[in-house]
Amino acid sequence: MLVLTTVLPLWAQTRGISGTVTDPSGQPVAGAAVFSADGKQFTTTDEQGRFALRADAGTVLTVSFLGFTDTTLTVTAAQDSYTVILAPDVQMLDDVVVIGYGAVSKSDLTGSVASVKMGPLSDITSSSVDGLLQGRAAGLQVMNTSQDPGATATIRIRGNSSINGSNTPLIVVNGFPMGEAGSLTSINTADIASIEILKDASASAIYGSRGANGVILVTTRDAKEGVTTATLRHQTVISTLSDKLDIWYDPMLMAQVANEEQTNGGLTPLYIGQTLGGVYYPSLLEIQNGQWAHTDWVDLCLRTPVVNSTTLAVNSASSKASFNLNVNYYDDEGLYKKDAYRKLNLNLGFSYKLLDNLTVSTYGVLSATTRNKMDGLEYGRNPLWPVYNEDGSYYRASATDFSHPLVRLEDYYDQSKGRDIAQSGALDWTIVEGLKFHTQIDYRYNSSVQDIYEASTTSQDAFDNGGIAKVNMDKYQDILSETYLTWSRKWEDRHDLTLMAGHSFDREEKRGLYTTARGFVNDVLRNENMNAGDPELRQIYNDGYYLSKLLSFYGRANYALMDKYLFTLTMRADGSTKFGTNNKWGFFPSGAVSWKVHKEDFLQGATWLNELKLRASYGVSGNQGINSYQTLDRYGMEKFWNGGSWKTVIGPGYEVGRTGANDRYMVWGGISNPDLKWESTSQADIGLDIKVLDSRLRLTVDWYYKVTTDLLREKYLPLTSSYDKIWVNDGSVLNTGFEAELGADIISTRDFHLGADLVFSLNRNRVLSLGDAISSGLSRDARTGMYYEVTGPAIGMFNQNANILAIGKPMNVFYGYRVKGIIQEGADPGFIDAAGQLDQSGELKYLDLDDDYELTGADRCIIGDPNPDFTGSLNLSARWKGLDLSVFLYGVYGADVLYNGYTFSPRVKARRWTPDNPSDRFPRLNNARQYLLSDYFIQDGSYLRIQNINLGYTLDIGKRWFKQARAYFTIDNLYTFTRFDGYDPEVGLDGIYWGGYPKFRRFSLGIELTF
Amino acid sequence: MKTRLSLILTILLAGGCSLAEQPYGFYSTGNFYQTEADAESGLMYAYNALNYLEYLRGIWYIGDIPTETMYAKSDEPGDIHLLDNWTFSANTELTWYYFKYCYIGINRANTVIDRIADCPISDAARDRILGEALFLRAWNYFNLVRTFGRVPLSLSAIVTLDQTTPQLAESTEAIWEVVFKDLKQAEDLLEVNKVFGRADKVAAQALLAKAYLTVASGRHYNAPGYRSLSYDPDAYYALAAEQARKVMASDPAVYGFDDDLLHIYDVTAPDGPEHIFIMATDRSGTHEGMYTKIPLQFLPNNSAVPIYLKYGDGRLQKANGNGWGVFIAEDSFVESFLSTDKRRTELIHRQFYDQYGSPITLPSGAKYYSAKYVDADFIGERTSARPYLLRYSDIALVLAEAAGPDEGYPIVNKIRGRAGIPDLAPGLDLETFRKEVIKERALELAFEGNRLFDLRRTGTVTSTVREASKLSEEDAAFYPVPQREIDLNPNVDEENNNRF
Repeated sequence: MLVLTTVLPLWAQTRGISGTVTDPSGQPVAGAAVFSADGKQFTTTDEQGRFALRADAGTVLTVSFLGFTDTTLTVTAAQDSYTVILAPDVQMLDDVVVIGYGAVSKSDLTGSVASVKMGPLSDITSSSVDGLLQGRAAGLQVMNTSQDPGATATIRIRGNSSINGSNTPLIVVNGFPMGEAGSLTSINTADIASIEILKDASASAIYGSRGANGVILVTTRDAKEGVTTATLRHQTVISTLSDKLDIWYDPMLMAQVANEEQTNGGLTPLYIGQTLGGVYYPSLLEIQNGQWAHTDWVDLCLRTPVVNSTTLAVNSASSKASFNLNVNYYDDEGLYKKDAYRKLNLNLGFSYKLLDNLTVSTYGVLSATTRNKMDGLEYGRNPLWPVYNEDGSYYRASATDFSHPLVRLEDYYDQSKGRDIAQSGALDWTIVEGLKFHTQIDYRYNSSVQDIYEASTTSQDAFDNGGIAKVNMDKYQDILSETYLTWSRKWEDRHDLTLMAGHSFDREEKRGLYTTARGFVNDVLRNENMNAGDPELRQIYNDGYYLSKLLSFYGRANYALMDKYLFTLTMRADGSTKFGTNNKWGFFPSGAVSWKVHKEDFLQGATWLNELKLRASYGVSGNQGINSYQTLDRYGMEKFWNGGSWKTVIGPGYEVGRTGANDRYMVWGGISNPDLKWESTSQADIGLDIKVLDSRLRLTVDWYYKVTTDLLREKYLPLTSSYDKIWVNDGSVLNTGFEAELGADIISTRDFHLGADLVFSLNRNRVLSLGDAISSGLSRDARTGMYYEVTGPAIGMFNQNANILAIGKPMNVFYGYRVKGIIQEGADPGFIDAAGQLDQSGELKYLDLDDDYELTGADRCIIGDPNPDFTGSLNLSARWKGLDLSVFLYGVYGADVLYNGYTFSPRVKARRWTPDNPSDRFPRLNNARQYLLSDYFIQDGSYLRIQNINLGYTLDIGKRWFKQARAYFTIDNLYTFTRFDGYDPEVGLDGIYWGGYPKFRRFSLGIELTF
Repeated sequence: MKTRLSLILTILLAGGCSLAEQPYGFYSTGNFYQTEADAESGLMYAYNALNYLEYLRGIWYIGDIPTETMYAKSDEPGDIHLLDNWTFSANTELTWYYFKYCYIGINRANTVIDRIADCPISDAARDRILGEALFLRAWNYFNLVRTFGRVPLSLSAIVTLDQTTPQLAESTEAIWEVVFKDLKQAEDLLEVNKVFGRADKVAAQALLAKAYLTVASGRHYNAPGYRSLSYDPDAYYALAAEQARKVMASDPAVYGFDDDLLHIYDVTAPDGPEHIFIMATDRSGTHEGMYTKIPLQFLPNNSAVPIYLKYGDGRLQKANGNGWGVFIAEDSFVESFLSTDKRRTELIHRQFYDQYGSPITLPSGAKYYSAKYVDADFIGERTSARPYLLRYSDIALVLAEAAGPDEGYPIVNKIRGRAGIPDLAPGLDLETFRKEVIKERALELAFEGNRLFDLRRTGTVTSTVREASKLSEEDAAFYPVPQREIDLNPNVDEENNNRF
């Protein structure tokens, strides 16, 4: 589209003209080329989209920029200033998408790949980008369950498919696989140009035995040619708690409730002025008389969390060289005093064109982190305990009271320091037109040192042993080489073929050394000198080394017929040292077809339709969840007291885990399984992409069906073998789902833009098989015959695990009793409790499902499902001139959450059942009862959160040395709509709510200056 | 240039890649048993199997809890009450673990026995190591056959998956034959060489004496677990006596009676003359198994405030920090001791004291607790208290029972005299005398993991233990083979699993 203010030419004359190039929404287009047909006049636009050159009237100038249709303008004598609005090239819209080992234009994608727009994410302060992806792409599930400084996120693509292997996607930065997604702290968010999520097998199978959980590709920014910018950005976040802490504010009520709890359980009341277990419990009278303190422990433990993040970015590019430097300092002070995380990152990218057809480039990452851990300070400590004794020393309730927060703040020390260095070097060589060679060497070195000192005042163990010092060191090293050739050719205007073939070699090495010393004369040196500990109590408790090598060959063919019918075939072969000797090589093929329906003749008349594309793919990828040496036989090592000294003793049988109450029983492994291999995921995907009305309305939907087989599981062996378990491939899990992304530019004018993006994900998960019921040690539900095994952590309060894997059911469903109200006085409880506690009035009315009038394990059933029915998000963005506003909503529907807060929440305790208050909701207080895990504790964890509101103002200053300034204000977690009773329903995949403090409401202010 | 360099590098990296995995930082079949030190270390690994708490606590869970001598505190979690009340099944956790650890010990001993043959070491060292390994295999099979009856027999190391389902022994006698054969061979191979925590020639003789006595008395009393054996009772009583005599012929300074009753149980003297085979543990260890928590199980809780014992001479001894009081002596059993018996007055306590010697009241109330396992120098929960595996007085009583009154009276009276009680009534006939010896064993070896086996081999479980009275003596003879073994080992199924 060309807009000319005046059209009439007068006479030819060479003179200076100027102009501005913008996109349809009025944003300036920087770096666009403006040139005459004969090439005599040439310039590019600056940051404000402006250009100036000398031209004769009548000269036709072409304005060209990647992603837009070329536009011409004819210089007239009457006009000196021109405005050019470039129309987006529908073909080129969103331009290229990075896929593994290459890039394709988005319109040519055959697989399911989601792209995340970085724009609004850069304004949110975070130590890593991973957690910010929540709700930003369909099929991507992100859980931010921890609010500790520097906390990481849990990430899943299209559900859980492994039980014992990892379920976390692979993250690849500029072609360098950097391990599991969730903690990409070493790459600055502001330095990321784009993020692509590879979801279906056609997209992820190229990553072979590491692709089954999906792949997240991160590409960092490049400098624009001819432009030098420096950006300084500072963000400050201040957080408040979004809910009031649920602790005892009234000590008298606390004491009364505690007494009632004891009395109802047939025990002696606590607060009667007695010493029990070395602790003095004052009588109610003493409390009433004010003889005891009313300490505000919250104030002593907690503070207002503040995060500061400062970034300096400098980049520049000429026709030969470009560089991009990004430095960030991130300082996160947590809620608990002294709980902190600091990070300094330096990311540097550099590339140089040696020859016209030869470019070398490097990308480097330096990251230094420090984590001072001081979590779990007891802010809910008994308010009756004073802070100090009369002599000024700290008041400890008994000789074994180790939880005084001030003591802990002074005497407990836990610091981890991490260093992460990653360096890639790549060479791109166009051998001849159409044949490209790429080789890349990546190196990563990661080290962490954790220093811990527990003074004898901070734990029973430390008290018994005179202090505990620990030094834990980990090192990780990875060297990777990737080399591939890409050949592409178009012929007869109908055929377009691209072939890629390559190989890679990856060598990973891990080393750990964990030492501990006990028995220090005093606490002065802390863990500075482990030799100061008691020589007999010094120990190396972990000394590990793991080496693994992965050798791969891969290839891909992309073929397009008449730019309408697209085919992709990929293949990868992975050979790994980790696999058993009988299964060293895995093969992972995939194929996809795509049909650009809108290119068919019968739709040529439909000008409103910009794209209509159907996609289908099928393929197999793997999950190499095996650890190094897991397929080998392994001897165990112990210490034996031989005639007065310790000897190291060695032989068959190796401790692989613990089981039983307090993990008291050892689990023995160590027998080899030479058949052990990767888990295999086969996935079918059918997708549809539609764009209409000048691409202002865009819809992508996908349906997938994903089966994971050969699950890595442990099989039991006969006891007489002397081994408990052996690793085998056995069992399968299904994930099937539907995803949709809808994007709309509702209003789009030069000064005003209003857009909306809707993301919807639905996944259904089902355990198909868990191997042979007997050798897998499966339990059987007596009433339904359902086979299951428990999973996840045992919950002490209930004396059972909450989650099970049951055949035919979603992973991690909750298994327990059912409850219907409270047993009211005089009513029939419906069962008899042998211990005589649970069938009393005021207790929970458990349902006797098997009608034997007894409460046994057979009365349990599935009582909840922590997997969401669906998740969705809506991002609304508006811009008016320099002012921008975005509102981001995120919701989860139908995920059940296990909330055990009812058993200790002071809010609930105050509303307990009593004969005078016959509640049907909260049972009576009773310290002697054993709570059973029941649906009483299962809550609907659905929520809709106003996750983020961002208001910004950008001022174009336009000076040569000061281009732009931007200020913005962001609120995270403004409000959560939910019926959940705990602080916040966003919990981990197992649906277990572990308490903690309320979710932060974060207010942040940012300023960004571009020079 | 750079292209070539990176090409070369790539090729080198790929070329240098062998996908065979080499173990790093751990031992496995391929890189162990190369030297004498390896063999010695492997042997001690077989000893170490006895130390795991599943096996160690089994000493009392199986030896004492099911009998009339001891019971468990009511709120102790786990399956201990199933054993106490004789309501166990094939799923009972504690017998299941005991069974498993017998086989862990066996596999470790079998590995030594198999691999010592090719190990380049001196003949003397080979004989000693092989002898000790055979002793340990016999020790574990002895425990298995008297606890579970007929069980699978595994006589070589299990290395591959197809070896993990051993065949059931043809009969209990086939297992006893392994015990006898291993011990006889061990006796031949070993020298007398007392090392705390290890077994020597005398230990082999002692265990063989006990094994012979078990089958002899089992046949003699027609106990159900022993009916199928072909052994002639008198011949095996004679063999038991012969072996026990060898033990009693040892240098009394090395192996003999300890005249001081309390000294037997002194943790600071683990090499006392009474100790033929004792578990090797020490409080300087870093995890349970290296040290033990036995005193915590035997002594009561006082809310973390240390409790003290007071002995007859007024001596105060620090006993425990924060016990759990799991094992409680039955009142009726304690009262069956003569009131002057030092084994009652000094070794069983109901009254405890504070550090100043004043009596204290315990939260758990006044109950009898054994003081055989006390370590005054405990560190937190870490103690050096050690269970006896074979004790001189035990073997002396084996001789008394096997040989009868002539040789037996001096032995029994020596033990009674040490406890400060009068001699046994003289002139008893053989049958009555043997019964008195078995009674004396109950008192002398109380809480040392012996009683249940004495009751079973004499067919007196159901007539002695109130909780077992509802069972037949056949049902009380053995514990069932654990369910997992029945489920997973096709060579053991419920139908052909005739335990007798």
